[in-house]
Order: sequence, then C-alpha cells, then structure tokens
Amino acid sequence: MKKDFERVVVIGYGKATGEILKYTADRQADYGYRLEFIEHELHALSITGQICEERGIPFSSLPDKRKLGAYLGEIEEKTLIVSASNNYLFPASLVERENITIINFHNALLPDYPGRNAPSWAIYQGETQTGITWHYVTAGVDEGNIIIQKTCEIGSDMKAYELAERLMELAYEAFSECFDAVLSERAEAKPQAFSSNRRMYRSTEVPGGGFFSLKETPEKIYRLLRSVDYGKTGVFPPLQTEVDGERAEILRYRKIAPEKKKDEADMLYLPLADGSLLKIKYSSRK
Amino acid sequence: MEEKVLEILEEYCEEALDYTGENMMEEGVIDSFTVINIVSELEDVFDIEVDAKYVVAENFRNKEAIIDLVKRLLDE
Repeated sequence: MKKDFERVVVIGYGKATGEILKYTADRQADYGYRLEFIEHELHALSITGQICEERGIPFSSLPDKRKLGAYLGEIEEKTLIVSASNNYLFPASLVERENITIINFHNALLPDYPGRNAPSWAIYQGETQTGITWHYVTAGVDEGNIIIQKTCEIGSDMKAYELAERLMELAYEAFSECFDAVLSERAEAKPQAFSSNRRMYRSTEVPGGGFFSLKETPEKIYRLLRSVDYGKTGVFPPLQTEVDGERAEILRYRKIAPEKKKDEADMLYLPLADGSLLKIKYSSRK
Repeated sequence: MEEKVLEILEEYCEEALDYTGENMMEEGVIDSFTVINIVSELEDVFDIEVDAKYVVAENFRNKEAIIDLVKRLLDE
C-alpha cells in the first residue's frame, strides 16, 4: 500500500462531486487515506449524502463559512482537499500550510473565465468551445498551476445547465486521470499565462446585466436566455425586458418551428436566422 | 393530462416509466439535470409555472408523484 496523504477531504455538490466521492472511496484501499465529505452548499436535489451513507463515508454539513474554515484549520495530518463543485474560497492561512494540498475543479479553460458562473459567461460571449481545469489552489482565485484540462464544444442551442452537466462529466474524467499523480505528488502542473486584461467574474454579475432590449438581435437574446438558464436553481434572478413600455420578467423560453406559433397572451415570438422562432413567455410587472 | 406527463417522461427519462420504487433520484433513475428538462417541458406543455419550492426529490420520487404535482399546479 502506498501511503503519503493520510486524509482526503472532498468538498462540493452535484454530479461531479458524487462521482469523485465514489472514486476516492474505491481508491482508499490503494492508498490507505481516510476519506470524508463536507457539504458546504445545500442543494434540494443533492444525493451526495446518500452516496456517503451507502459507502460509509463520514459526512459533515458545514454551510457556515467560519465554521468550515475553523474545521479545516484544525487538520493536522497531511491532507489532500478536493474542491469539486465548490464556491468556498480557501483562506491563505490554510492554502499556505505545509500539510495541506488543495486541488480545485474550475468549469472553464483557465486562465479564461476565472471566478463564478463560467459556463454562463462562455455561452453569453458566444464561445464555441470551453472546458474544465483542475488546478492547485493558491491564495489568488483560480490562479494556481494547472494539473489537467479537457475541452468540449458549446452547441448552438446549449443551455447553461446542459453545459454545466457536460463539464461535470469532464471534471470527473479528468480527476480520475490525474488522481494518482496528485496523490503521489508527481503531477506536472503548469503555471497559468495571465493576460493583462484578465477579468474576474463575480457572483453578483449577471450576463447582460440581467436585461435585454427587444431591439437586440434574436440571436443575442437567445444566447443571453441560454446563458442564465439553470432551471429553477436560482443561480441568477429572472431576466427582464421591456414590452410596450412596461417592464416584463421572463418566465421561460423555447426555440420552436414557425408552424407551432399560437396567439397567446404575454408571449413574444422573435424570428431566428435559421428560420425557427424564439418563443418567450413573460409576466408584466406593473 | 397523465398521458402527456408520461410522454414527457418517455422523452427525457424512459426508465422512469417502468420504475415502481419510492425515490428515483436516490436510486439513480433520474438526476438533477433531467429534472430541469422535465420541469421546463411541463411548464411549456401545460402553461404552468413550477416554482423552485416544488423542485425537490419528493415531487420527483416516481411518475405518480410527478403527475400529482402537475395536477396540483393545474388546480392552483
């Protein structure tokens, strides 16, 4: 048995985290580390708790940042922290500790799109390709050396949640490929080449400022709608527009064939260049 | 109505049609991304709004629970 890291702590939520938990549980026998899972962000449809229960993985729910920081700060063993889909920013005091190594999954090809909601910004900017990055965590946000990257296409109708799902699949694939190298400290990490105009995307920022004008092209509006579409998860507030001089909140949208157009209240139909229609349901806010 | 819900399930998660248990999510029949697709389709087909408070595992535990959810929302 190879033994170097004594403890592996997985933090995150969602599909990638679930797969990583299963993988790291299966590899415990090879390395002899103690595995545990920390849930920092709570999600209604999360099944990570169930995975932990089934596999006997110790599970802690620490939604409070200070409590999480205090908990991690008490770790004394040589520990690998795997930050899967996780928005907690590790403090420099933790990152710089000799006994702690942290790796993070970022859902873009760093150094592009650092910060939050990267899939949304990639769709909004009209990118045709994006990807994932596993990198070592340093005190700067998404600045650490790159361990592995994988790319994927952004389909012309792809919504943010669909892209996020694809990126989570890639994150797991990449993690399983680099896990041994990371654990044995043989990973060849490359420094990031930052451009002078590097922009950090913040959690409070919404593509398009959360508003579109009906004077914009239907293609641009469709891109914006797709970029903020995470279903009902509330990642972004509903988009707004102005219809007949009144503020309107967007409820849902869909690309449809022209023959499916119906006369309905509070519905917009915008012609797309490919011959289809962009159907947008809104509610007036008076 | 039921028939339309089953058609949507057939399109996005065929396994849900044969599932007879009590928790499709925990048993890996359906995942959170599929739920987003189903909710989006239900809203469009039935012209309803599915508030986030209804998008929980309990309401997607099996096909009967999804049909019940749609019934409740149509009655609101």
